[in-house]
Amino acid sequence: MKKLTMLLILAVVTGGLLFGAGAREEVQTVEFWYHLDDPEQNLDELIDLFEAENPDIRIDAVHVPWGSFHDDLITAVAAGNPPDAAQVKLWWQPQLVEMNALQPLDGYLADWDGYDDVLDDLWELTMHSDGNQYYLPLQMVILYMYYRVDVFDELGLEIPETKEAFLDVARTITEEKENMYGFGIRGARGGHDYWGSFVLSSGAEFFDDQGNVVLDSPEAVEANQWYIDLYHEHQVSPPTTPADGFVEVIDNMLTGRTAMTIHHIGSAQQMHNQFGEDISAFPVPAGTVDRWTSFGDEQTAILARDQATQDAAWKWISFLATAEYNQMWNDISGQVSINKSNEDVDYGDINRFLEATLDSTPFAQILPPHPRIAEFVESTWPAEMQRAFQGEITSEQMMRNLANHFRD
Amino acid sequence: MKSRSQAVLPVLKGKKESRLIERGGSENADMSNQHYKRKRDLYPYSLLSPALIGATLIILVPMLFALGLSFMNYVLYRPQDHAFVALQNYRRALGDEIFWLSVRNTFIWVIGVIALQVLLGFITALFLNRRFWWRGIARSLILIPWVTPSVITALMWRFMLDGNTGVINDLLVRLGFLNEYVPWLARSSSALPSVMIALMWQGFPFFSVMILAGLQAIPQELYEVAEVDGAKVHQKFYRITLPLVMPILLTAVLLRTIWVANSLDIIFIMTGGGPGYSTYTLPLYSYIRAYSGLDFGYASTLAVYLTIILVMLIAAYVIRVMRTEDLH
Repeated sequence: MKKLTMLLILAVVTGGLLFGAGAREEVQTVEFWYHLDDPEQNLDELIDLFEAENPDIRIDAVHVPWGSFHDDLITAVAAGNPPDAAQVKLWWQPQLVEMNALQPLDGYLADWDGYDDVLDDLWELTMHSDGNQYYLPLQMVILYMYYRVDVFDELGLEIPETKEAFLDVARTITEEKENMYGFGIRGARGGHDYWGSFVLSSGAEFFDDQGNVVLDSPEAVEANQWYIDLYHEHQVSPPTTPADGFVEVIDNMLTGRTAMTIHHIGSAQQMHNQFGEDISAFPVPAGTVDRWTSFGDEQTAILARDQATQDAAWKWISFLATAEYNQMWNDISGQVSINKSNEDVDYGDINRFLEATLDSTPFAQILPPHPRIAEFVESTWPAEMQRAFQGEITSEQMMRNLANHFRD
Repeated sequence: MKSRSQAVLPVLKGKKESRLIERGGSENADMSNQHYKRKRDLYPYSLLSPALIGATLIILVPMLFALGLSFMNYVLYRPQDHAFVALQNYRRALGDEIFWLSVRNTFIWVIGVIALQVLLGFITALFLNRRFWWRGIARSLILIPWVTPSVITALMWRFMLDGNTGVINDLLVRLGFLNEYVPWLARSSSALPSVMIALMWQGFPFFSVMILAGLQAIPQELYEVAEVDGAKVHQKFYRITLPLVMPILLTAVLLRTIWVANSLDIIFIMTGGGPGYSTYTLPLYSYIRAYSGLDFGYASTLAVYLTIILVMLIAAYVIRVMRTEDLH
């Protein structure tokens, strides 16, 4: 009898363990790395909605500080322990592809209902040079020019269409307004977007059609000299320019130290709260060849290695790219939805900034997909630009050093 | 195999037997003593072993790993190109303009910061060694910069030195030292000195405390005798205070040299190495190569060069101390 009881207990315990394990296996966890500028925001609501629709998937969302996101992600991949899915930037793509870290999404996209609702340009911009689609668009971050409407009105200035007209406007403001500079330049990390709007629109290119580095071409050197002179010669930006990063550039605008600067809709509400209708935005002026503004993108990608997790991760990232939930994401992040069906969404007080964003879409560009572009953005460009701003090196030396970064 | 006592015993039977057993007993006692001695000799090592094993795992293994990486082409995002390249990274560094700039800045950084800290530390230690009613409070307050986290220190000084709204500019303009605000951290000429001042502020209490301890150990009789002999204040300082504090000061300088040479957090937060490369030091350059360029091979080489420089400094110090002890 005792033996029978023991056997029964053993059977119950074993069965319980097996069933328990079976039940646990049914729930697939997806570790998702993301970043939001506002640390008080989170994805709880979106995750609740997703998990209600997909009870067999649990999202483990990890907020990663933006300053170390790239390093953390690359290191995690190198260590063989990447997240299952992550929010990613386009200029990380070449490195991640080279590390064989990304899963092509083409198979999933072929069967995805939401494909046609994503803005067509975004598929072209985000496709990798090997022809695979590794990234799924998440939000649009297109840069435009903020300007102080009251200052323009007071000085009788028109919105500049060309960079020469822009220089005239910036000089007039700097000369006429006490303690105010015409243009807030970001000379520290992240300032390549500003530089690109004036230099890459005026004949400077990274590579020619054969893939040769041509960043030190005469046209590029001349365009770069024009940009250096904004600070060095014409002094239309504050003396702190070489060290000014995101915080300083936005603070300078908010405190009335500068009358124009480049940023995106993510800071529009803050600007509107400070100046009301006295601030607005226009697309960056044209260079000598065409217009260029930065498509400061955000996408999602799958990094999981096993099929089951990849499938679950796909459900999550495609959920974030569908119109209703993508708008929710962008309400949280303060950016613009990637869906055609969200184009008419009312942004209330900041609709004018949305217009500037959409007006800039046709000429929004990305930096070339090169494995060393991340380092270019993070350290090489800021250091060389700062040296040129201070007259330590010439425009020609700067562009040669930037070109050599890709030649090494 | 027979023991010595077992081999001898059969030959020496009879009346000597008991004495032999006693001798055997005494040999056993000797062996037991030797065993005890061996055990006693090993005992300290057994106590030290957890710390040694821990230190080996935490310090030595990563150091050896970094040393190994320095001989490799090890760009993180190119796993297919990882290869042993012998001294290639070392040769590359010698031809790298930024490396030499970083070496120069490292020397300026270390010598400048340590000199300023010693100077300020000495002045405050002499002050704190005097008797005044709020000495206890002053001795506590002096530690505030030392216990402030580096990130807070860096951010605080960055705000104070801000070229648009910084309080330091405001004060200097109000006091008439400046006509207009100076972008301290945006100019190559002033960025490194500005960051050095921030680290000087953070680190001088270490010297204050160390030197104060040294000052308190000096017998008062020496000063009394000097006074009787008519010594002036500066003579007492140079002939009594300085020589007697010197051993502590040298140890403190050595420790701080290692810490300051390795520190990069304050520079990284205040300037990120800029403007240009004007605040690049060797550890910062190594960090940027590792985490911006993801070139861990070259970054490790730069770290090894820094280690070599520091080891040379420490060796020079140890040789000097040993010579001094020999003289005594």
